[in-house]
Amino acid sequence: MAALVVFWSPARGLRGLMQRCWGQLERSLLRGLPGPPWAPALAVQAPATLPDPLEDIREESNKAPNFLDSIFWMAAPKKRRTIEVNRCRRRHPSKLIKLKTNIDVCPECGNLKQKHVLCGYCYKKIKMETGLIRVQIKEKEAGPFNAPTIETVVLYEGEKPTERDEGKRIIERKRKRPSCCSLLFLLFIYLF
Amino acid sequence: MAAQAVTGAGAAWARNLLSWARPERLLASCSISLLSNIQTRTYQQNVGRWEKKNRIVYPPQLPGEPRRPAEIFHCRRDIKYSKDKMWYLAKLIKGMSIDQALAQLEFNDKKGAKVIKEVLLEAQEMAVRNHNVEFKSNLHIADSFSGKGHYLKRIRYHGRGMFGIMEKVRCHYFVKLVEGPPPPPEAPQTGFDQAKEYVQQLRNRTIIHTL
Repeated sequence: MAALVVFWSPARGLRGLMQRCWGQLERSLLRGLPGPPWAPALAVQAPATLPDPLEDIREESNKAPNFLDSIFWMAAPKKRRTIEVNRCRRRHPSKLIKLKTNIDVCPECGNLKQKHVLCGYCYKKIKMETGLIRVQIKEKEAGPFNAPTIETVVLYEGEKPTERDEGKRIIERKRKRPSCCSLLFLLFIYLF
Repeated sequence: MAAQAVTGAGAAWARNLLSWARPERLLASCSISLLSNIQTRTYQQNVGRWEKKNRIVYPPQLPGEPRRPAEIFHCRRDIKYSKDKMWYLAKLIKGMSIDQALAQLEFNDKKGAKVIKEVLLEAQEMAVRNHNVEFKSNLHIADSFSGKGHYLKRIRYHGRGMFGIMEKVRCHYFVKLVEGPPPPPEAPQTGFDQAKEYVQQLRNRTIIHTL
């Protein structure tokens, strides 16, 4: 659709009025914008993106500011934390080590143990003994995948297999029965 | 064999030759103790102040005096641990009896707990052997603290060519065992006590430089 613009040469009074109007419009539009006042310019067909001749130089100068600019918006301490403030934080009761009230004496060996944990010394002794039993089993089986389908029972020096031990594999250990006859030890032995 | 005997004899001969030059004989009249008597060690093996505290000898006590409790000073130097982290453990055991302290340290998961336990056991052994302590359980920890040891500096590499200086920290640990049961813990100050102190301060006010 074509638009028809009619323009007539303004009279002397009108021309002055129009100039004043245009000036007011310019000032109101360009109040915040820097630079010289706009004048009617010739419209030229230009490409969509204007190539920047000074792009390369700007890139280099932008590299350092980009790195430094981001610092302006990062959190940083305003003042040095004094040693008094630091001490209040580091020595606060929540940060001190709490006293343990669950330490007892093991009735078997007399070492210290925690109430809900096995005694470390007794556990080590049992572990060593079971290690030696495993060595005997390894000798008896002589190779992998030879585990029998029957139960195992460990007999010490001077012990004979009882009625209950019928039909079970017997592992012999050449030492007297260890003194720690607690339930735990039996539990470990019967785990095989 | 013969050569060894000869060299042995030679050394003895040399020693006998220079025996007249022994400086102790020359300065017999003076009472200055010579450097050879004091342990001459290099910078790294200087005997620290804490270790020297074990050497003080008190004069014998008079019959009426109360018995002075035995004090045992022990320390370990240049432990590969941070002094701030060690301080928490030292604060834990301060004021406890030695058995309680050993129990707490045994079930603590920190690295310094193992070290402090060793130090306490050593000190207990020293107390019984050298310091005339009768019962090894009759000891309590009067003082226990950590100090800064010698630090090493290393480079820590960051991105963008930046670097930081890493400090390899070490610490000392000092402990003072005193014979006897641990002192009862101080009762926390109540509001009433604070008020009493305040009133006493008000009563102590006076006008200075007057009659």
